[in-house]
Amino acid sequence: MINKDISIDFLGVHFENPFCLSSSPVGNCYEMCAKAFDEGWGGIVFKTIGPEDFEVDEVSPRFDELTKEATPFVAFKNMEQIAEHPLKQNLADLKKLKENYPDKVVIASIMGPTEKDWEELARLVTEAGAEMIEMNLSCPQMTSHAMGSDVGSNPPLVKKYCEAVKRGSDLPMMAKMTPNITDMVPAAKAALAGGADGIATINTVKSIANVDLERKTALPIVNGKSSVSGLSGKAVKPIALRFIQQLRVASGLEQLPISGIGGIETWEDAVEFILMGSTTLQVTTAVMQYGYRIVEDMKNGLMHYMEEQGVKHLSDLVGLANKNIVPAEDLDRNYKMYPEIDWDKCIGCGRCFISCYDGAHQAISWDEKTRRPSIDTSKCVGCHLCALVCPVHAIHPGKIVMKEGREGDPSKIDVVSQRLY
Amino acid sequence: MLSYNHQICEIRHNCFSLLTLNEMGPITMTKKYETEAPGYTMTTVMEEAARCLLCHDAPCSAACPAHTDPAKFIRSVRFRNVKGAAETIRENNALGAICARVCPTEKYCELACSRSGIDVPIDIGGIQRYVTDFEQADDMHILHKGDSNGMHIAIIGSGPAGLQAATTLLEKGYSVDIYEKNAKAGGYLTYGIPEYRLPSNIVDYEIKRITDMGANIHFNTIIGKDMTMDQLKAENDAVIVAIGASEAKMLPMFENNDAVETAVSFLARTKQAKGNIDLPDNALVIGGGDVAMDVVTTLKKLGVEHVTDAVYEQFDEFRASKKELAGAEREGVTIIDGYVPESVNGHTVTLKHRHINSEMTIEADTIILAIGQETNAKNLGIKLEHGEAPSAGYKTHDPKVFITGDIAQGDKTVVYAVQKGKEVAGEIDSILGGNRDDQ
Ligand SMILES: Cc1cc2nc3c(=O)[nH]c(=O)nc-3n(C[C@H](O)[C@H](O)[C@H](O)COP(=O)(O)OP(=O)(O)OC[C@H]3O[C@@H](n4cnc5c(N)ncnc54)[C@H](O)[C@@H]3O)c2cc1C
Ligand SMILES: Cc1cc2nc3c(=O)[nH]c(=O)nc-3n(C[C@H](O)[C@H](O)[C@H](O)COP(=O)(O)O)c2cc1C
Ligand code: SF4
Ligand code: SF4
Ligand code: SF4
Repeated sequence: MINKDISIDFLGVHFENPFCLSSSPVGNCYEMCAKAFDEGWGGIVFKTIGPEDFEVDEVSPRFDELTKEATPFVAFKNMEQIAEHPLKQNLADLKKLKENYPDKVVIASIMGPTEKDWEELARLVTEAGAEMIEMNLSCPQMTSHAMGSDVGSNPPLVKKYCEAVKRGSDLPMMAKMTPNITDMVPAAKAALAGGADGIATINTVKSIANVDLERKTALPIVNGKSSVSGLSGKAVKPIALRFIQQLRVASGLEQLPISGIGGIETWEDAVEFILMGSTTLQVTTAVMQYGYRIVEDMKNGLMHYMEEQGVKHLSDLVGLANKNIVPAEDLDRNYKMYPEIDWDKCIGCGRCFISCYDGAHQAISWDEKTRRPSIDTSKCVGCHLCALVCPVHAIHPGKIVMKEGREGDPSKIDVVSQRLY
Repeated sequence: MLSYNHQICEIRHNCFSLLTLNEMGPITMTKKYETEAPGYTMTTVMEEAARCLLCHDAPCSAACPAHTDPAKFIRSVRFRNVKGAAETIRENNALGAICARVCPTEKYCELACSRSGIDVPIDIGGIQRYVTDFEQADDMHILHKGDSNGMHIAIIGSGPAGLQAATTLLEKGYSVDIYEKNAKAGGYLTYGIPEYRLPSNIVDYEIKRITDMGANIHFNTIIGKDMTMDQLKAENDAVIVAIGASEAKMLPMFENNDAVETAVSFLARTKQAKGNIDLPDNALVIGGGDVAMDVVTTLKKLGVEHVTDAVYEQFDEFRASKKELAGAEREGVTIIDGYVPESVNGHTVTLKHRHINSEMTIEADTIILAIGQETNAKNLGIKLEHGEAPSAGYKTHDPKVFITGDIAQGDKTVVYAVQKGKEVAGEIDSILGGNRDDQ
């Protein structure tokens, strides 16, 4: 079995691998975190700890899932708040974790309604032995509007609370940001101004995943009613990557240390977050669905990827994609690329024909005798919708032509197929 | 580009697998014999892996005799880590690509699969084949010889048991010499299981991995004739006897008859010639096990029009696996069940039903006997009863001599031979105390 160094330093702390549990029920107590460490996770962000007097009173049931065809957990909706266990027990668990797992990274997530609470919690988790603090400024379903994403979308409050945490502790600290905001940059800059050392993002996206057609409310149903609450899992990955990219290209944030979160399930997802500028990675939903064991293939797949790429240090991969994602107006619009059908693969289903007619530019015609498509380049705009719907990946990038009146050498244009083969 | 373990855009066999047989060019009869059923593509293997329930305490893994750990490698495929899947298979099973094709999965892993509680088991063999094909296409080198511990082991027989024992010993740092009576290695992998079920290039590739690790194979060397057991014992720290049951059984009434050939001789000859053999118009096969099924199916695939199989058992007592029987039936073999040969005169065999009053006479160009194989352990100084060690385990009365494979107790299948090969190697290592840190 391949064995490569995938360790990385983040905010001055050494992680034996970049994979961490994100703050949530997957890291709710000592036993869970210990099992996660035993199965190979590099760090854990313990379930968010609130002040002693904040009463957590949860609903039942509290989850919902978005499905598509036979795929469960396309996205996952939760209505959970912060740690249910008493403050004392949480602190004792943090202490024991650090004692028993000195080489792993124990991160405390905290949240409070007042500056005093933030400062006090920061002090307490530092005394308990946490190595890093994450400020939860982003839970979208708190029963108190003085906490959670209402705070995280208010830059002055973000700054104030970050300063409070820094007064209570000199540990490295990341502010966990909400995606329920148009532009994350002002909130992130406020956090840095308040003393944050890095950013963790995303928390869940406010959502309604499904509506019950009989009771006429959203799911899950809590005694006949439901609420807007946070969505996570695979479907939020694109949203997370977008925020991370936009942070890393904002002026002054080019080197921003980020812990990437949102829909990570596989080593490929993880690499995507790293290329987009994340140094460490955090996971909840995939662990809730499949268990801690998923980290085995994340680590192993990442090692194989580094080997293939000839990369020695994981840190060399961080942010490599940032410069290749440019504003829409800066893209090369001088050419178009036609699709090309591989006849050895085509099975004659006609899906490309349907999608091109009904969803694109009527550039594919259908021969009813041979049951095969053909592409009319005078109508084809080169959108490649057909390639995305073809069930056998028979449609490839084909001929490239310069648009009328545009300059350029088609053979120099850098394109690849998006599909798996 | 996105691809599971980014480096491979196309595995040749995958695009091929989207073609039907007809599209592969003109069909010759040997083509049908030489062509394996198509395997999964990247898309279809993921569809199959997505059916896996990712069980806790996975019963499939517990049921694999060689501990190939299907639950783990399917999970790796599911999480898009085909290279990791290949490592799991290869580290547990030096013949992973072969087992993927020939394991009677319906008796082992797939029998145990929890998915049967919903519909049909996961196609574990098919997924294993996809992963090992990927491993080959990507030229992965997963196993390595351990640091030399200065000890030498001789293995008699290069069938699956000998090959796996060699691999495990090499990993532990032993040097290994294999003595093989035939001109090629592999035992029944090379000289038995037909090409359409197990292509010889797959077998050759798996054997090459093992010789690349350092196994030294001496061909055309019969121990007990060309070299003595005493010689091997003197030159090595231990000797493993892995001779299988490589000789065919005969019925006295068929002896010295030019029309008669044994199943293993016929299958070996056909596989070596890639199906280019002189064919009869009409063949009678006697026997009803998996080997008989291979013979009749091979004959049919090669275009023999009249293939009749006379089977001692009646249908409800058949020994052949359902899969093999179904394959033979698909090819259109005539099966007469419950009949035993009564007498033979040249090409004409008289068969009698075991229970009812019925007799028939069949005249055939060729008569092939598939009534079982036996072991020839002449001059090897080991005691066997009915071709099998009299007691469980791998030790013999001679502390330097061990047995494994089909002549050890347990199922007579490739995957069992793999497990017995691993176990005998482990046992020798625990006695000789090779590389302590490897354990
Ligand atoms: C036609 C056929 C089809 C089969 N199909 C399947 C199947 O689909 N699935 C499955 O799991 N199993 C199948 N089997 C069974 C399987 O092949 C055996 O269980 C397996 O090969 C046993 O492995 P082995 O290493 O013990 O012996 P073998 O494969 O028999 O190998 C023994 C080797 O020892 C060599 N040898 C013998 N004596 C000497 C000597 N004195 N000196 C030197 N070399 C010697 C032989 O030449 C041979 O190469 C099939 C068997 C046959 C005959
Ligand atoms: C059930 C559940 C509870 C969560 N609780 C917390 C929490 O207490 N603190 C926090 O910062 N984030 C919490 N989150 C958000 C996750 O940490 C994470 O940011 C989000 O789920 C996106 O990652 P994922 O797609 O890997 O789940 C919770 C998420 C879920 C699904
Ligand atoms: S998952 Fe566990 S805690 Fe939750 S409802 Fe089921 S049994 Fe109860
Ligand atoms: S969608 Fe693909 S397989 Fe179907 S007709 Fe079009 S090219 Fe052929
Ligand atoms: S028993 Fe079947 S469903 Fe369960 S892990 Fe194994 S292959 Fe998957």
